Amino acid sequence: MNRKKDKGFESPRPFKLTHQVVCINNINFQRKSVIGYVELTIFPTVVNLNRIKLNSKQCRIYRVRVNELEAPFIYNDPTLEVCHHESKQRNLNYFSSAYTAAVSAVDPDAGHGELVIKVPSELWKQGDDLKVLKVYIEFSLDQPKGGLHFVVPDVEGSMAERGAHVFSFGYQNSTRFWFPCVDSYSELCTWKLEFTVDASMVAVSCGDLVETIYTHDMRKKTFHYVLPIPTAAPNISLAVGPFEILVDPYMHEVTHFCLPQLLPLLKHSMSYLHEIFEFYEEILTCRYPYSCFKTVFVDEAYVQVSSYASMSIFSTNLLHSAMIIDQTPQTRRCLAQALAQQFFGCFISRMSWADEWVLKGISGYIYGLYLKKTFGVNEYRHWIKGELDKIVDYELKMGGVLLHPTFSGGKEKDNPTPHLHFSIKHPHTLSWEYYKMFQCKAHLVMRLIENRISMEFMLQVFNKLLSLASTASSQKYQSHMWSQMLLSTHAFLKSISNVSGKDIGPLIKQWVDQSGVVKFFGSFAFNRKRNVLELEIRQDYTSSGTQKYVGPIKVTVQELDGSFNHTLQIEENSLKHDIPCHSKSRRNKKKKIPLMNGEEVDMDLSAMDADSPLLWIRIDPDMSILRKVEFEQADFMWQYQLRYERDVVAQEEAISALEKFPTPASRLALTDILEQEQCFYKVRMQACFCLARIANAMVSTWQGPPAMKSLFTRMFCCKSCPNIVKTNNFINFQSYFLQKTMPVAMALLRDVQNLCPKDVLNFILDLIKYNDNRKNKFSDNYYRAELIEALTNSLTPAISINNEVRTVDNLNADVRLILEEITRFLNMEKLLPSFRNTITVSCLRAIRQLQKNGHIPSDPSLFKSYAQYGHFVDVRIAALEALVDYTRVERSATELQWLLVMVQNDPAHYVRHKILGMLCKNPPFTKTTDSALCNEALVDQLWKLMNSGTSHDWRLRCDAVNLYYTLFGLTRPSCLPLPELGLVLNLKEKKAVLNPTIKPELGVSTVMDTPASIGIHGVGMSYTFNTMEDEDIDMETVHDSQAFIHHHLNLLERPSTPGKYSLQLWLFSGKEPPSVEQTMLTMPSTPAPSFSKETTSLSSKHSSEHSHHHHHHHHEHKKKKKKHKHKHKHKHKHESKDKEKERERDNSHVYSNSPASGRSLRSPSLSD
Amino acid sequence: NITRAVMSCGQFRNSKAASSPAENYHLARRRTLQVAVSALLTECGFESAEKAAVETLTEMMQSYITEIGRCAKAYCEHTARSIPTLPDTVVALIEMGFNVDTLPVYAKRSQRMVITAPPVTNSPVTPKALSAGQKRTHPAHIPSHFPEFPDPHTYIKTPIEPVHNPFLRDVERALTRFMAKTGETQSLFKDDITAFPLIAARPSTIPYLSALLPSELELQTLEETDSSEQDDQTDSENTTGNIINDDPGADKENSMLPPSGGVPSTKASEDNVIDNPYLRPVKKPKVRRKK
Repeated sequence: MNRKKDKGFESPRPFKLTHQVVCINNINFQRKSVIGYVELTIFPTVVNLNRIKLNSKQCRIYRVRVNELEAPFIYNDPTLEVCHHESKQRNLNYFSSAYTAAVSAVDPDAGHGELVIKVPSELWKQGDDLKVLKVYIEFSLDQPKGGLHFVVPDVEGSMAERGAHVFSFGYQNSTRFWFPCVDSYSELCTWKLEFTVDASMVAVSCGDLVETIYTHDMRKKTFHYVLPIPTAAPNISLAVGPFEILVDPYMHEVTHFCLPQLLPLLKHSMSYLHEIFEFYEEILTCRYPYSCFKTVFVDEAYVQVSSYASMSIFSTNLLHSAMIIDQTPQTRRCLAQALAQQFFGCFISRMSWADEWVLKGISGYIYGLYLKKTFGVNEYRHWIKGELDKIVDYELKMGGVLLHPTFSGGKEKDNPTPHLHFSIKHPHTLSWEYYKMFQCKAHLVMRLIENRISMEFMLQVFNKLLSLASTASSQKYQSHMWSQMLLSTHAFLKSISNVSGKDIGPLIKQWVDQSGVVKFFGSFAFNRKRNVLELEIRQDYTSSGTQKYVGPIKVTVQELDGSFNHTLQIEENSLKHDIPCHSKSRRNKKKKIPLMNGEEVDMDLSAMDADSPLLWIRIDPDMSILRKVEFEQADFMWQYQLRYERDVVAQEEAISALEKFPTPASRLALTDILEQEQCFYKVRMQACFCLARIANAMVSTWQGPPAMKSLFTRMFCCKSCPNIVKTNNFINFQSYFLQKTMPVAMALLRDVQNLCPKDVLNFILDLIKYNDNRKNKFSDNYYRAELIEALTNSLTPAISINNEVRTVDNLNADVRLILEEITRFLNMEKLLPSFRNTITVSCLRAIRQLQKNGHIPSDPSLFKSYAQYGHFVDVRIAALEALVDYTRVERSATELQWLLVMVQNDPAHYVRHKILGMLCKNPPFTKTTDSALCNEALVDQLWKLMNSGTSHDWRLRCDAVNLYYTLFGLTRPSCLPLPELGLVLNLKEKKAVLNPTIKPELGVSTVMDTPASIGIHGVGMSYTFNTMEDEDIDMETVHDSQAFIHHHLNLLERPSTPGKYSLQLWLFSGKEPPSVEQTMLTMPSTPAPSFSKETTSLSSKHSSEHSHHHHHHHHEHKKKKKKHKHKHKHKHKHESKDKEKERERDNSHVYSNSPASGRSLRSPSLSD
Repeated sequence: NITRAVMSCGQFRNSKAASSPAENYHLARRRTLQVAVSALLTECGFESAEKAAVETLTEMMQSYITEIGRCAKAYCEHTARSIPTLPDTVVALIEMGFNVDTLPVYAKRSQRMVITAPPVTNSPVTPKALSAGQKRTHPAHIPSHFPEFPDPHTYIKTPIEPVHNPFLRDVERALTRFMAKTGETQSLFKDDITAFPLIAARPSTIPYLSALLPSELELQTLEETDSSEQDDQTDSENTTGNIINDDPGADKENSMLPPSGGVPSTKASEDNVIDNPYLRPVKKPKVRRKK
């Protein structure tokens, strides 16, 4: 691919930022407002620098001065409202391209920005000498919706007593939400940060705290931070609150901060951090790059972990006491992740968005090494398998994930990911799920590189990158030095080749430059005559999300004589591979069988095929291909694999395969593994669920007590009284996890009537009844929550007669018992709340399940009350999940509205994000189903939500886009009224939409040209139309609107042509009268709605009479302050060439007359 | 004391020290004493004696022996010992006016009668105190001649099967019902809102506090178990259960890290001034002088 071969970094800006001062001198918690200023020191790199583009969102800018001179500026944020509000366009293709265009128009990586400052002409000459410019901007934020989050509990007392705090947050580069900056990961500078806060508060920010000084009235203090290491603005953060301070007892440079009263938890949770530090410093042979590190734990966090230069912000919910088992490894993982990102992500930043995968990959990789060291090889391999399964499932379902997209110079035609409903050109247009999978894949690919070049070389490469960056960071500003701190794909690969001397080109091409995973199907036959294993490996590389693999693959064959590795070459046309077997003769009875790890074991070989020496076969056992393998081998082979293969991944694979073989032998193999204490506990846990499924499949022939019951009794119950569980003692964690899991799996057992067996239910009820935690040093909240989950799992649909109303009287006796327990648990939780309210969470799920199965009346009101702001976040999410489910099952428009209102208004960003996420996962309807819920009002509401309602939060906007896609698909929602016209040409998207009610027989295959597209782009396009079933296909993602915005913004470079701005806002501070530039506000006489300039309908007869359509837009933004005047003006500027496209028409106009749905045809000639 | 006295007379060597002799054992001894009295009478030339006279003489003999024993014991304890020795007895006899020098001659007299040993009755087996658990052996620093440890149940908590409090759940249920009755409730049923009353969900102003901090009950449990022997008891169980079938590679991997040295608490106290910018005092504002 055309990766940039040029190793130097070319700034997209005509200047270089060297230093920035951020001073926030007032933070008002009552009003949730912030006042401050920034000062950027820049070096022009061109002669006559007259415009400076910076990023700023939602800040109110009072004045801008450049070197003490007042400077006029334009504030234009096209992402506030992506499509013009009057546009009747409702298809997602249109939105996505417009959104991408809007994001591109202010993309700092392309040198753009929302804030355009005109350098006073007096300073132009200075540019000749390339002298330094100081840009001073005064700004304020009032009730910010993004960037900064205020948590102000509504109680009595001072702000400090109330635990009020504020912190910065955002998805990717989002610093522009809280102060004007160059919001790019590739623009590094040094920082001076000053925050004046109430004397009872602490301001934690990046860099070294130099001093803290009282203000003159002694009621406030100012925290002065200096960050001498060049850092990108997106890596700057702030947290202010009445934090309790804990200096790490092992490392005095490390300071931890938590909210009042949580100090004991902080002490315990952080007691481990120094080991992570030591680990990373040791493997990277490099000191932690910053002189200090701060961890801040805040409420209502946007994400669990976010890393910034020399500090990380965590969710307060990660803190826990010594009594909590389950949270401990999770918190440690979060800490390790945060710290890994300090090295790669904060200290070393990325050169461009296309290089993001390298940083995510490296930080994920070293985090993986930490996991391996701390939690053991079994846990590590289990985790890798989990990650691999996740990415494979996602790609096969949603289409490929591309790590290193290349966009060849503005030609958006070759969209690398046409299968996605969003653009991957910018981080801000990505769906959150895709981004998570992107990180997952980046790490796995990094692991593949390690497999290829060895861990030693890998660590050497990292060390090299870090030492280069560290040398660069200590330098004073020089033109190219700091760019050593930016990592690009090219530099990374070059470093790998230098260090290892190996060519990893093919690997990179396969997994980085290309999307998709490999799907193998394997089967085999044993040729007795030749003593050869005939292995067949087929591939599916035509389905979505797949790619073809050519290259080596490792196959491990366990024979009677031992385990043998074979490396096969997967080639274009060879499917069959002959593998010679070693064991010639029939088994020698007394002989032990050697395993891969050198161990020799006795096996009962009676289950084997007498003619074959093969015990089991594994394809790609080291997971060195991103693949899914569906391998066919006999049930006894899977059983041998489960019992004797020592790799946990193999054991887990065997367990999943055994589900298909419900036989007594499988049962025995699973039971044995379940009882084996040497076996990895997660494998044993998985075996529980498999055993439950097998038992259900064998229900008619099952002998003995219910599966797992006797084992549980033996392990955890009193010897004298087997139905009474021993007093809890969770000191052995493996037993603890098993004790938690077994009842949950047992509850999935079903008898011949498909009901949970009575003795299983009674058993679980007894476990609850006799549960006694008084002597345990650990909390049993997770265990009790699992017991409630077990009760939930035991539920089966109620037998309903004539849809009778569910009342207390006709309640099933078993259900009554379950309900008794749930009621008691839920009520006890009010008196003695459990850690993270796990009990309430489980109870809410149980109640929803009772409703869904028709045991109790389906009613959302309980969930609504628990979903309210003010409950613990886990409880809220559980309640919302129940509501989302209720909405789908009952098709309730009221609840859907209720949820959507919460998406718009809830104070917690995470909750909003989760609601949309859950609605996507469990949608009330989809694009392929009909529903009464699907109506025009909902379309408009969601459109509005993604168009303008979520402009303060990139992640939320992408969530809204996802939901819109899930509900309506890419095209115009089918519930909108049909167009009156037979055919609507939407040249914006280069497609013709035919009203199927008028001419359905037109969908025969036709090949047609689109003169329109030729006219506009000079590219002939032909399109074959096959069947009526074809979905409305986008021929090309259109970025005309982007071009439009680019064009208009570029006009700013030419001050001589005023009046060409699509959206402009000139602000002048104070009483200074607007100067000459005011003339620039002249309204163009022939404006047209935004983004539709090039919408042309060439041969549509219907539209020809509207050859000129003028819309006059004057749109006032909903900004509260009168001071801001947003004027939207639209002016079309035609190139002389385009004169033939006179019949320019407003797209929305077409739709207003003829909203279309159904088929899309590309040829205007069809309308004839 | 009686037995000791008898022992000191050398007559009943076999008798075992028993603090509370059974009744028949007592009678047997009395019978033996009677035989001895009768033998002495025979030796003196009596052919017969009235039973009452023999009884009286036996009583006198017993008193005499008892007095010797008591007296010898007194002398022994007077010299801060617990078991009487021969000299104690000799002194006692002398004190009682007996010429000790005549005793060996008397003992060796030719006409003395040999009394057959009393029928050996099985000495009563004192039922062993119920022992629970195994006695601890002496740790290295305690010499082996020191007394054994008593039964473990007498000084550590006895492991018992949990006694489940059947009323706990009733109490819980009653309590929550009471709470439900006195406060706002939510119901799962529309027809009978009292059926399964749920205490109404009430949003809290700072929800994370109650969700994260351990409840007082839990803290109490923690304190109790911390001091208790739970770890001790289960340690041995654990060592077997903890084996994970990790690859040998894991060890190699883990050995990359040197064991973290240095105990923080001592370190912190040694250089008691921790230089951390957040601990430094806040500076007073500079007074700007107006020129």
